[in-house]
Amino acid sequence: MNRVIGQSVPRRDLPGKLTGDAKYAADVQLPGMLIGKILRSPHPHAKVIAVDTSAAAELPGVHAVVTPFDVPEGNIAPDVPILDTEVRFVGDEVAAVAADDEFIARQALDLVEVEYETLPFVTDPREAIEPGAPPVHSGGNLVGGEPIILERGNVDEGFSEADVIVEDSFSTPAHSGAALEPRVAVAYWDDDELTVWKSSRGVHQDQLLLSLALGIPRERVRVIGGAMGAGYGNKDETRLSVIAAVLARRAGRPVKIEATREEEIVAGRHRHGTYTTVKMGVKSDGTVTAVHATTIMDTGAYLSSGPGVVRRAGQGALYLYRCPNVRYDGCLTYTNTPSGGSYRALGAPQGHFALELIADRAARAVGMDPVEFRLKNHVGPEGQPGERTTPASEIIDTQPLEGGIPFSSNGLRECIERGAEAFGWSDYSPTSEGSLKRGKGMAILIYRGGPGGRSIARMSFERDGSFTMISGVMDVGEGSATVLTQIAAEALGVDYDQVSETLGDSAHTPDSPITAGSTVTFSAGLAVRQAATDLRSRLLSSAAGVLDVSASDLDLDSSGVFSQSGRRLAFSELAEHIGAVEVEAAVSPGSTDYIVNSFGAHFAEVEVDTDTGAVRVLRYVAAHDSGRILNPRLAVNQVEGGVSQMLGFTLTEQMLTDPGHGATLNASFLEHKSPTILEYPDIEVIFADVVDPIGPYGAKALGEPPSVGVAPAVVNAIRDATGVEVRDLPATPDKVLNLIAELETGVVE
Amino acid sequence: MRPFEIIIPTTLDSARTAIGNRVGGAAVLAGGTDILGEIKEGTISPSALVDISRVEGLNEIQTTGEQGVSIGSLVTLAQIEASPAIQKDYPALAQAAASVATPQIRNVGTLGGNLCQRPRCWYYRSPLFNCLKKGGSTCYAVEGLNKYHSIFGGEGCHIVHPSDTAVALAALDASVETFGENGLRPVHISEFFVGPETNMLSETALGPREIVTRALLSPPAKARSIYLKAKERQAYDFALVSVAASVLVEDDTVTDARLALGGVAPVPYALPAVAEAMVGTRLGDVVPEDLGHLAVSGARPMSGNAYKIRLSSNLVARAVATLLK
Repeated sequence: MNRVIGQSVPRRDLPGKLTGDAKYAADVQLPGMLIGKILRSPHPHAKVIAVDTSAAAELPGVHAVVTPFDVPEGNIAPDVPILDTEVRFVGDEVAAVAADDEFIARQALDLVEVEYETLPFVTDPREAIEPGAPPVHSGGNLVGGEPIILERGNVDEGFSEADVIVEDSFSTPAHSGAALEPRVAVAYWDDDELTVWKSSRGVHQDQLLLSLALGIPRERVRVIGGAMGAGYGNKDETRLSVIAAVLARRAGRPVKIEATREEEIVAGRHRHGTYTTVKMGVKSDGTVTAVHATTIMDTGAYLSSGPGVVRRAGQGALYLYRCPNVRYDGCLTYTNTPSGGSYRALGAPQGHFALELIADRAARAVGMDPVEFRLKNHVGPEGQPGERTTPASEIIDTQPLEGGIPFSSNGLRECIERGAEAFGWSDYSPTSEGSLKRGKGMAILIYRGGPGGRSIARMSFERDGSFTMISGVMDVGEGSATVLTQIAAEALGVDYDQVSETLGDSAHTPDSPITAGSTVTFSAGLAVRQAATDLRSRLLSSAAGVLDVSASDLDLDSSGVFSQSGRRLAFSELAEHIGAVEVEAAVSPGSTDYIVNSFGAHFAEVEVDTDTGAVRVLRYVAAHDSGRILNPRLAVNQVEGGVSQMLGFTLTEQMLTDPGHGATLNASFLEHKSPTILEYPDIEVIFADVVDPIGPYGAKALGEPPSVGVAPAVVNAIRDATGVEVRDLPATPDKVLNLIAELETGVVE
Repeated sequence: MRPFEIIIPTTLDSARTAIGNRVGGAAVLAGGTDILGEIKEGTISPSALVDISRVEGLNEIQTTGEQGVSIGSLVTLAQIEASPAIQKDYPALAQAAASVATPQIRNVGTLGGNLCQRPRCWYYRSPLFNCLKKGGSTCYAVEGLNKYHSIFGGEGCHIVHPSDTAVALAALDASVETFGENGLRPVHISEFFVGPETNMLSETALGPREIVTRALLSPPAKARSIYLKAKERQAYDFALVSVAASVLVEDDTVTDARLALGGVAPVPYALPAVAEAMVGTRLGDVVPEDLGHLAVSGARPMSGNAYKIRLSSNLVARAVATLLK
């Protein structure tokens, strides 16, 4: 049993990436290929009155120019036309050119004359929803016209039962995923057939969006993913590839567009900035009686995945603590700033930051240790109090509002207990040596994930007796090619090396959801397991015919099929008899009985230099319940990566918008300060001993949960060390120093 | 980015001829870590680059005994960081060089380039803002985002000088040797850097066709020196605030002192009042915290950079306390 599952088999993408052999979309070179560049708005909000392209078009080496006035009609999203006569942030796409090389393309951009009529603009989401704010789109800035309100029980009643109420406001910045590989697309037309190589997190979704935008049948669009230099979410941005396709059509030659780092940060999709107020009521014994969170989330100029993200930002407030009376008000707001979108953990880090700082305050208010407070109140395996309202036959949403539904598995308590023990929580007291103050902090987390959309997978038995796992998902660098192949090998009963994989090409793989929401291992994994199980049965029954025995007498291993009586048939021999076999399985993953969620508890020790405001994270323990761990090395990589990445969100990274002009001021690796190796602490990773009954071989979501607990654990540790609580991320030295000054002098800087 | 010519002279004379009129004309290229970024980002578009990296005689550290040390302008920051002579006698400079950016940048970035680099102000760097430094009429930092901007001496323009080595050289009483219209001339470090009140378009006293050839350090007395740099990220970051200090102690009494702050003013910001307060003071009577407070008197913060006052004060106190320990 489990010969392949649970093993740290080598990553499928590693040799190619280590040797430079891996082919990224940017590596695609085609005969006659042109380089496309995009002209971007210098204004945060303006009407494009006219575009004069004559000088650009006459420049030798320029082969196509496209403007909002001659672009084909079509939309990439309801609020995003291919090009628009209204621009909504500094960096918004205005026009594009394709030329022999990048140098000529850049010169051509300088020659495009645009006449703008500037419009009033708004950059602060709190101002954007005030009456009279300049509308970013017709229909008002508050998406949907009203907040989403999610309530279980009645928070007024809950607060009336409380002995202590704690409440405060917090903010988190917009920050870029800073993938090493910027967005890139190469578009090539063969008559009416379009092929696009794209840095993609979902070739089938990109295929659909390209076909809708360009008004051509989906079957005439092929999207090829290739190797990925990380996803983190924003590789679902498709406008870049649609513009490449339009330019290629017009020029009659292939066109490549590769975002610069500045374009990647400004015109990619970043984590939404938020303003959150949380109010928590507790009894004097520490019991939570009510939680009410309100989040204003800045989606920037376009909607992208904002509606899903704003909902997820409320999951912690609604479900992390066992409580009958909870409420979340989410306001998703347009502004004239770069567009937010999908970024690892989708709103959960923002929501948990506010919630877990308030939880620490509540604990202090009733004289409880933070760990003790969480152990008393965290949601348990039985779920929330209340009555199930989802019909019994329906699959339970991964973020339900109602109570009365148990979790398929819930190792949160084990995460808290084992994490605290590994950290040495109960023996730790803050220390001070001169200006260096050390302290501890922790946070717990809940994350929806796992079950995604309907997934299809295929398994092939090839003519040479080898196997191929075929899935439409993209391996964005997290290792899905490896883990899905492990699942296939396990279900078949063969070795990992006997199964090769085909992923991420819309022409050769079945329809799959995007690599998003920590769903691939769970959802695509269930489909792969089903397909592999079906193929195994097919092979055994075929072999039974060849060997003239009953299929129930047969089994298989890495060398082939064998009978209890000792007869053997190598896979290559079987293939000679029956030829290639392909089976396909489709699953709609989920459970009608249980909520499938992942959990975790994070612990940090920090050192703050109160002279300089510098914060160092010295030590980190991340304990996770992600069900059974299918590949320990990859799983540890995910946790270390998520923690490291979110230390940037916590301590240094932010996109800064000039309030007077709307421009992003720091769209570079120098000033959008992602941490370097010097900032990373030792990270101890613990996995709870949980086997989920629904997920493939017991697995649950893992990719995103590690991102969720970092900011509150670190900021709670800063408070433990210094007595100051940084309510507005990132916790940069200026903020720490100002808070220390405020603490010492009583004057607010 | 527009086309530009590259000229590669091998002598100072031919370099001078090639540079011509610096304003709007040729720009000097050495390690290229700053100017190529400026060109790519559209901050400047010179018609020609004069690559001086092959000019002979500018790439050595010369220890001349009683005359002190001379460091050629093409010496890399990595060489300075690794030089035993500089580590021993001018530790503040070695520490400043080591604090710059990343090893990759220090391997190509030169001392001359580090002194002549342009401001990091994001309004100056962005082609979307025609600020005072680019001939415009507004300092956008005043009404905009200014957490990295100056708290001293911003006369209209509120940049801070970004160089780490400049701050160390200011505390080490160094001179800069230049080559221009009238041949070689030494310029004391305090006169080499000029604020916007003197020249809005340049941060140095270099004339047209003039380049830096050397930094000259006085002979090592028994002074102790130190460079401290506060930043937001351990590598690849400019100073929020930095301080360089050099102190000579004889018979338990401070007999000479020089200090300068970085990251707070358009030039390396010398602290003569602090030095004056220290000189003649017996070690036991030096109160570093008081000197820190003295260092920031007269600071004028903007909306987002008041923290630099406290940070400067604390760093000065720490530098003094560390040197006198």
